[in-house]
Amino acid sequence: MSMDTSSVDPTSGEYVASTMSDEVVIELVQVNKWYGEFHVLKDIALSVNKGERIVICGPSGSGKSTLIRCINRLEEHQAGDILVNGTALDTNVKNIDAIRRDVGMVFQSFNLFPHLTILENCTLAPIWVKGLPKAEAEKIAMQYLERVKIPEQAAKYPGQLSGGQQQRVAIARSLCMSPNIMLFDEPTSALDPEMISEVLDVMVGLAETGMTMLVVTHEMGFAKKVADRVIFMDQGEVVEQNTPDEFFNNPKSDRTKLFLSQILAH
Amino acid sequence: MSDTTHSDAVFRPKPSLPPPPNTVGVVGWLRKNLFGGPIDTIFTVVGIWLIGTLLVTVYQYGIANAVWEANSYRECLDTVLPNGEKVGHSGACWAGVAVWMNQYIYGRYPDPEQWRVQLCLAILVLWLMPFWLPRVTAKIQTGLSAVLTFPFLAAHILLGGEAGSFLMLTSSLALALFVTVWLNVITSYAMNKSVGKLVVELTGMADKDDRLHKWVLLAGFAVVFLGALAYESSWDLVAVPTTDWGGLFLTLCISGIAIASAIPSGVILALGRRSKMPVIRVFCTMWIELFRSVPLITILFMAVTMMPLFLPVELNPDKLVMVIVAVCIFASAYMAEIVRGGLQAIPKGQYEAAQALGLNYWKVTTFIVMPQALKLMIPNIVGNFIGLLKDTTLVSIIGLYDILLMAKASGQDPNWLGLHAEPMLFAAGVFFIICFAMSKYSQHLERTIAGGYGRR
Repeated sequence: MSMDTSSVDPTSGEYVASTMSDEVVIELVQVNKWYGEFHVLKDIALSVNKGERIVICGPSGSGKSTLIRCINRLEEHQAGDILVNGTALDTNVKNIDAIRRDVGMVFQSFNLFPHLTILENCTLAPIWVKGLPKAEAEKIAMQYLERVKIPEQAAKYPGQLSGGQQQRVAIARSLCMSPNIMLFDEPTSALDPEMISEVLDVMVGLAETGMTMLVVTHEMGFAKKVADRVIFMDQGEVVEQNTPDEFFNNPKSDRTKLFLSQILAH
Repeated sequence: MSDTTHSDAVFRPKPSLPPPPNTVGVVGWLRKNLFGGPIDTIFTVVGIWLIGTLLVTVYQYGIANAVWEANSYRECLDTVLPNGEKVGHSGACWAGVAVWMNQYIYGRYPDPEQWRVQLCLAILVLWLMPFWLPRVTAKIQTGLSAVLTFPFLAAHILLGGEAGSFLMLTSSLALALFVTVWLNVITSYAMNKSVGKLVVELTGMADKDDRLHKWVLLAGFAVVFLGALAYESSWDLVAVPTTDWGGLFLTLCISGIAIASAIPSGVILALGRRSKMPVIRVFCTMWIELFRSVPLITILFMAVTMMPLFLPVELNPDKLVMVIVAVCIFASAYMAEIVRGGLQAIPKGQYEAAQALGLNYWKVTTFIVMPQALKLMIPNIVGNFIGLLKDTTLVSIIGLYDILLMAKASGQDPNWLGLHAEPMLFAAGVFFIICFAMSKYSQHLERTIAGGYGRR
């Protein structure tokens, strides 16, 4: 799929220079969450700067997906504060709507709308949330579809595309709302091995534009290449966070060492 | 693997070969499905013999020995066949059905006024026609206007007499909407633009603000409405009380209104039942569970015999109106559960993706969830409609002369005493045609709506 000469192997090559600024865009203070009796997030504290790329990894059930899903209120946290662009996430629907407009999200299972064409998938929210005229929304959508290299699929339905193509559409769909922050929830976990690189390519390209990104993934090559910071979570806690260099070459905690030895073994 | 079967460095797939003989085509089908073995062959032969005998019997009764012209049931029975025997019960007496045909269809609606029923049917068909005209826009508005206002127009035409101010206004609104819909169709085909756009252009407002357009369109519609009102005020129709309505016309009247109201009320109840707001949720749940747990006939009896006791005397509710309300309530409860089933089939990821894009509850429901859910629900919805249509025959028990009671009544006519099977066969045929058409249409809808989805 990614035979395009301009694309690079995302798992190797140079580190993509960071354009991180000092401005804090996401701030989590002592965030706690329970599913019934189960304590999923324990006193999570995290602040993300504008333009920062964070990779979150950890074993399944460690709360990493829950964490990023709290940032756009797909999950509700029960204690602590989450501030996005200085706006607190609380029960105020207006705040939630404002934050969701500014935070894009890409899911493991793509979640494209199967009854709409690719183009309609991309224009729905700009038209009905931002109130853009249809023609303008379509123009923007085509720009982003070109950026993810599938403008020729615009008239098709999601069911007619491969997994990798669907995930790239999902990324374009989020970008059409021109968000300042992008959340990725295991974007390549549901893909065939042959298709992972085409999605990672797009994500690396996105990182190059200076987008603030929080990525839950097990693609350690991607982490090495673009992350400003790698966060390792286990049992609902942040066990360790560091620059990718330090994280991979010089892990502090035994739990991290065990995790790394297991995922890098094969 | 070490033992590669391809000696070439380049992979070349093997060519496809034809299948073994006698496995495809007509012969293959016969061998596989009818004559697969000795037992299969026996079943096939016995089956063909059974079907053949049945067909011959039906032909003898329904066509060969049937009597098409007679003045009474006695005459039917005494008709002499070519072989010299009397027909007796060996042939159908379609003559009776033919004589009663008018009543089966219109009930006791007076003959000279029956054009009004036909007119209403024609208006309804014309109103819904833009759905099948590809170049006409605003299909949803067309459908909504028909569902919401056509019943009032039909009521005015069918009832006749002095219309009250409410019925006068609503039916004029309906007529105005109908005229607008067809003006739109005409301009769409003749000039390739919607009627709204044409009006805006004609008044020279095209380059003005969009908000002005709305007022221009409203003014234009007001003119049409006043025209319709003036026209309807001049009507001088003979009053036909609902007690004279009957036959197939009445059946379709009741079931049509129930079907049209069922989808919107079902959607609202289903959403209410899934609501996070306890008052709404409890109310909707109670409504659904209450009316689903009670037989329709009970609701009908309650509506006709008990409701008038609770309502003020001045209201003097019409029996037919009460029956229609009862059937609508019943239908809404069933439809709500079908819609809820459809809603539950939509994966959580669809809601999440839509929410993450910033769509609010109503937009998620309108653009993402309902279109997908309704498509999944088509078979169930149509199944429910078919059931509803057949259930409306229960109104015969409370004395409304629908097609079934009319069919029964014809057998009690002194001239046609004993004519029982034929009218029932006729009614069965009518129901079969309507229900089968609905079922076929639903299959067509499923195919066309699912067509674009690609593989999924």
